[in-house]
Amino acid sequence: MKVKVNGVEYEDEVEPRTLLVDFLRDNLNLTGTKIGCDTTTCGACTVLVNGRSVKSCTMLAIQANGKEILTIEGLSSDSKLNPIQQAFKDNFALQCGYCTAGMIVQAHFILSHERDLSEEKVRDMIHGNICRCTGYQNIVNAILDASRRMRA
Amino acid sequence: MSYAGKSIKRLYDDKFVTGRSTYVDDIKVNSLYAGFVRSNVPHGRIKKVNKEDALKIRGVVAVLTGEEINQLIKEGIGPWTTYVDPRPWKIPLWRFAQGETKYNGEPIAMVLAQDKYTARDAVEAVSVDLEPLDAVIDLQEAKKDKILVHKELGTNYGFVGNFNAGDADKALASSDRRVEVEISNERLIPSPMEPRGIVSHYDGNLTIWYSTQIPHFARAEFSRIFGIPESKIRVIMPDVGGGFGSKAHILPEELAVIAASIRLGRAVRWTATRTEEMMATNSRHNVFKGEIGFKSDGTLTAIKGTLDVELGAYLTYTEGIQPTIIPPMIPGPYKVRDLMIKSQAIYTNTIPITMYRGASRPEATFIIERIMSTVADELKMDDVEVRMRNLIREDQIPYTNPFGLKYDSGDYQTLLKEGVKVLEYHEMKRWASQERAKGRKVGVGLAYYLEICGFGPYEFAETRINRDGSVIVSIGGTPHGQGTETAIAQLVADELQIPIERIKVTWGDSDTVPIGLGTYGSRTLATAGSAAISSSKQVLDKMRRVAARVMNADVEEIDYRNGEFIHKKEGRKVSWDVIAREAYGGKEPGLSASVVLEGDVTFPYGVHMAIVEVDDYGIARVIEYRAYDDIGRVINPALAEGQIHGGGTQAVGQALYELATINENGQLAVTYADYYVPTAVEAPKFKSYFAEKYHPSAYLTKSKGVGEAALIVGPAAIIRALEDATGKKLNKTPALPEDILQ
Ligand code: FES
Ligand code: FES
Repeated sequence: MKVKVNGVEYEDEVEPRTLLVDFLRDNLNLTGTKIGCDTTTCGACTVLVNGRSVKSCTMLAIQANGKEILTIEGLSSDSKLNPIQQAFKDNFALQCGYCTAGMIVQAHFILSHERDLSEEKVRDMIHGNICRCTGYQNIVNAILDASRRMRA
Repeated sequence: MSYAGKSIKRLYDDKFVTGRSTYVDDIKVNSLYAGFVRSNVPHGRIKKVNKEDALKIRGVVAVLTGEEINQLIKEGIGPWTTYVDPRPWKIPLWRFAQGETKYNGEPIAMVLAQDKYTARDAVEAVSVDLEPLDAVIDLQEAKKDKILVHKELGTNYGFVGNFNAGDADKALASSDRRVEVEISNERLIPSPMEPRGIVSHYDGNLTIWYSTQIPHFARAEFSRIFGIPESKIRVIMPDVGGGFGSKAHILPEELAVIAASIRLGRAVRWTATRTEEMMATNSRHNVFKGEIGFKSDGTLTAIKGTLDVELGAYLTYTEGIQPTIIPPMIPGPYKVRDLMIKSQAIYTNTIPITMYRGASRPEATFIIERIMSTVADELKMDDVEVRMRNLIREDQIPYTNPFGLKYDSGDYQTLLKEGVKVLEYHEMKRWASQERAKGRKVGVGLAYYLEICGFGPYEFAETRINRDGSVIVSIGGTPHGQGTETAIAQLVADELQIPIERIKVTWGDSDTVPIGLGTYGSRTLATAGSAAISSSKQVLDKMRRVAARVMNADVEEIDYRNGEFIHKKEGRKVSWDVIAREAYGGKEPGLSASVVLEGDVTFPYGVHMAIVEVDDYGIARVIEYRAYDDIGRVINPALAEGQIHGGGTQAVGQALYELATINENGQLAVTYADYYVPTAVEAPKFKSYFAEKYHPSAYLTKSKGVGEAALIVGPAAIIRALEDATGKKLNKTPALPEDILQ
């Protein structure tokens, strides 16, 4: 199969049953994407496939054949955080950090589609991403803050 | 330049927000993957494990059973003897299942394969002949001792203890009123987002990467269990994706991974799936049943009753804490001195119970706060008034509670008075009753708590100043998301009067940190933080001596301020960096100091309030959660608030949604999809305040601890709000729609 991940082309052989999340983590060594559950419930594994937000534990790697994938590693260059990452940091929107990659990718998805965000809307749009640590309020604040930063 | 007291940004967030964090499963070690074949009966005789089919699969290296694994596991998993006296306990040998399985989900064979997909194939290819035996699933049934979980113990009672103070019978007899109460917490699951994981490598020495809260205790336990000296075991705690108490205990699966790595001479890894994680860490489930006495003016005079604590099939490392800590904490911040509590812990053929955020104090608080609210309801008194009448007065503190716990500092009544104002309790109560008059089912409830944290017996820290003047602080506490390391860097930066950017805090590696107790019980900032202040003071003294030598002066002549050593009379100055370099050149070289600081418990307290709304289907939601706490000195308000938000959301889960249902076959009958951990939609809005005139602890940090507060008091506040909204009496968690509607 062939995929473009974070702008880089990869060609690899995979077993048909390999999940996308395992392909990213084990074959490509992109371990930023996390696995939190086996029920498509937690969103820790969220990535974008052709711009759409997907739980990568729910998709086979071969289904991504020929597609473009964005993972947390693709959101910043080493030297500079992107505005969402910066907003998460500034708003104390993480504790253990395990849900964070999925949250930020989902936030990136939301912010590239929605201009008018309210607190309620943000809560609704991240409700597929579970965070056990932060109580969400700071995450919601961070996403609203990032939205302001990106519009400014 | 002062850092403490400010919401300094967390020091190590960049790696998390960019995906460069390293949790156990991210560690690249050439290793075999473990998988576990599990029991599907609650109690059974293992007649045969059929390995052949599994061994035929390409990539399967071995299938091991209890017979083989237990040759290496010399001693069983036992209780946490730092906090639990094992003598009064009846403890069965707990190793890898051999001959019998005692709970549904117990691992009975282990497969080892080249990759995780093959490991799963192999698990499916192993078949086990299991002869079902009589089992006892229900806690009340187990108390009859008809079916025994462990025949050799002769009983299902693991522990029976009497916690008596004063004369409860006499106090009851002379009370104006007596009421029976039954108060309980159902079984739930801590659910950190990162499931448990372990990688074990053996090359004569054992190196273990482990998602744990207690690396040094783990090392000591592995040493005891495998009979290998601690010096040959290194436990490394990488980034840990949450723990909440569930990663402070040891599982048979983890022991099997270590045993396999020794036996095969290969690195072996296991990361629990979510389903396995849910089976590994069931928590709570206890019931208090008894009678209370009180006077017509609302004074609580007596508590008498029995506390049943479920153990599950085995005594875990941590569950022994609960039957021994809940009873002495039941009096809480109140003056009641006549109590008679029988505490008993009971084995059942179910998943062993471990601890969860707050461990014991949520239960004790729920019991005493339900009692306070019961008194209020019986006498038609206001919740605040009843509590005010019973709270220990400031002039009585330090106060020794009837079971000997010494409450260090605080002003409970003033905090309640202030809290009611700050949280706008009366205004919100009025608002809710107006809304209810319009047909909306909303309610407001508050609850008060006093908790114990800062647990000793000691903690370690070392401050090392490098040749270039940068600083490494190693701590025995092991934060796993709380951000405590940032708060400790703030304290050290203040102590050394240097920029915080020059300080790095490290923890969690048993080879680089000589000793440590770990992070649990909201102890880390007070204990490790104080040790770090102390070691920093010592290192600064040494720098002053070096400065004196460099300046040809007496130590007494040297002042230190903001990175400069100053000759008091002559005004000459030498910089921090120069002294650091000098210290590694001349006599008495080196700049490091380590401290093992003795610790003692502290008692934070506060009042929390919940506002709930219930819909026509009985589904409740906490709209808003407000907290007013005295946690001693607040070192980093944003971090402390973060703990209130996180704990408060877990309280919402415990109070309303989270129930680890066990069916009659002893099987966990929920998945992560229907075990309702709150999402952003169910999570409330938060307001968190800290009492400004704090009552400090005896620790150098003057802080007490905040990590568990909201989960300790939150369920009581939320249930009270639910009662206000619905007019129902609710004495258990979770309160499900069916409880609310019936
Ligand atoms: S790991 Fe994909 S949703 Fe949980
Ligand atoms: S920060 Fe720990 S799960 Fe979100």
